Amino acid sequence: MSHYKIIFTGPVGAGKTTAIESISDIAPIKTDASASDMTKTKKSSTTVAMDYGIMNLTGGEKIHLYGTPGQERFDFMWDILTTGGIGLILLLDNTRADPFQDMKFFLDSFQKFIAETNVAIGVTQMDLSNKPTINDYHSQLRAMGIKPPVFSVDARVKNDVSLLVQSLLYSLDPGIEA
Amino acid sequence: MSDKRKSPLKTALHGMDERAYKMMAMYLQGPCKGAAVVVEDLKAEIDIIDADSVKAKTLLKQRLTESTKPIIALSLQELTFENILYVKKPVKTSDLLFALSEARAILSVKKKSGNQVNACTQNTASRQSQKPVTKPESLLDPVKKQATKTDEQKKTSKHQTAMQLDEGKFNAFIGSVPGLDVNDPKQFPDATYNPKDYFQGYVQSALMVAEAKKQVMRLNSGWKPLIIFPHNHEIWLDADDKQLRAFAGVGMNKISGPGMTLTPEESIAASVQESLEKFHDQDAFLWKLAAWTSKGRYPGALDINRPVFLKHWPNFTRLVVTPHALRISALLMASPRTLPEIAEVLKIKPQYVFVFISSAYALGLIGQAKREADEIVQPSVVKKTEQQGLLSRIIGKLRANKS
Repeated sequence: MSHYKIIFTGPVGAGKTTAIESISDIAPIKTDASASDMTKTKKSSTTVAMDYGIMNLTGGEKIHLYGTPGQERFDFMWDILTTGGIGLILLLDNTRADPFQDMKFFLDSFQKFIAETNVAIGVTQMDLSNKPTINDYHSQLRAMGIKPPVFSVDARVKNDVSLLVQSLLYSLDPGIEA
Repeated sequence: MSDKRKSPLKTALHGMDERAYKMMAMYLQGPCKGAAVVVEDLKAEIDIIDADSVKAKTLLKQRLTESTKPIIALSLQELTFENILYVKKPVKTSDLLFALSEARAILSVKKKSGNQVNACTQNTASRQSQKPVTKPESLLDPVKKQATKTDEQKKTSKHQTAMQLDEGKFNAFIGSVPGLDVNDPKQFPDATYNPKDYFQGYVQSALMVAEAKKQVMRLNSGWKPLIIFPHNHEIWLDADDKQLRAFAGVGMNKISGPGMTLTPEESIAASVQESLEKFHDQDAFLWKLAAWTSKGRYPGALDINRPVFLKHWPNFTRLVVTPHALRISALLMASPRTLPEIAEVLKIKPQYVFVFISSAYALGLIGQAKREADEIVQPSVVKKTEQQGLLSRIIGKLRANKS
């Protein structure tokens, strides 16, 4: 059976693990460990390998949901993870010092994968920090020459994550009928 | 002199990430002995800005031009901006306390004179020594208060997740115009509406005025008061969605009374500040207002025979998601199309296209091709992906589990 994947990426604390948990049919397999470096300022534990969840489809197919480790020192894993992926979900934490820099870093890092598939961007923690706005993100993206969906997302809310993933899939093919 | 016998200065913090924000709130409570308290922007008497943050320059310029509040800037380097109180980093309690007392003095003069008085002291905070503040009190309580819920988080309408409408709920929720079948191509020329004939048009005009003047404004319609906060891109309305939906569909020529007026809101009533759940994001508010005004029609300003394009994806997680709105967005992001073409390509009823276009147009997201070349270029053919069946099953699964 084919191995279909959706990849979740973004900086430490952006909500990748939580987002996968929101739409997975199984309790996600987490590979978190106590944070011992700069990550510790953001949260007490962090993903050091990857998160994994599954969506079971009718007919027995499975969609594998992979979350990349947020720390840049694990970026050697990203190429392996994206092979055969359907598309990319990029989550950004709006309370970080420079979320635009984060966005640019991840879009550059996954440039090849995005060119082959597509990307949808979720901005988390907007209830804690409402600047930059979603329109500010669009302005930055316009300057980069791409126009992906950008939504405010609460990673704990299934509906938010679901809409973000749907936008990714419709970007791949607007003709899809549910 | 410590300000401890006076009420704390209401302070908004800018250019700080969550951690720095919390730390500064604690610092003001603890080492600064509660000389200032952190509140949301609207309620603030003064601004404290981290002038070393990425957007600090823009932020400072914006605040200096748009606000008359005293500004305290924290920076590693001496600043060249005039009319700000500068505190050198690392921040010393005595320096910050002195800057706060200067800000309080400015506010006091302003209050007495009733005129705008700019902060004119630069570097004052660092040139005078202050009596050091004694040992911090317990820092735990303020942190807990910050961690529970900020005012921003209490704006529940603003941050609630999207309502997704399916085709079955459309007419009941969006409404329809009696005697008009918007799905009949022969009736397309009549399936238009002019937002200016409805509350929507007045709200849009009021938003533009408030934005241009950068001033909090009240729209008096003889119905419910609506207050616009341009700095935060927010609207406050003392009405629920059901009431708004009903009012949206009423033609303004049918309403008798004193008519619409727009007045500056000099002071924000306590009742408004306490009803945080009545704050809406401007875009989300206008989006649903346009949908309810449209009732499945499209704005008459658009030529139905010319292609339209979408400037960027709407922020769907905070909007009312009308049927097929995501598909329409994806299609228009790929290339411009006429409204009937969209319905045809996606095999959907035109009313779903019209209502989406009405909402997106209200937000300024829709443009219409004006150059001849835009019409000559054929829209790209929607190619079926090999995985269409699979993608369709994933979407079906996501929709089934949307709760």
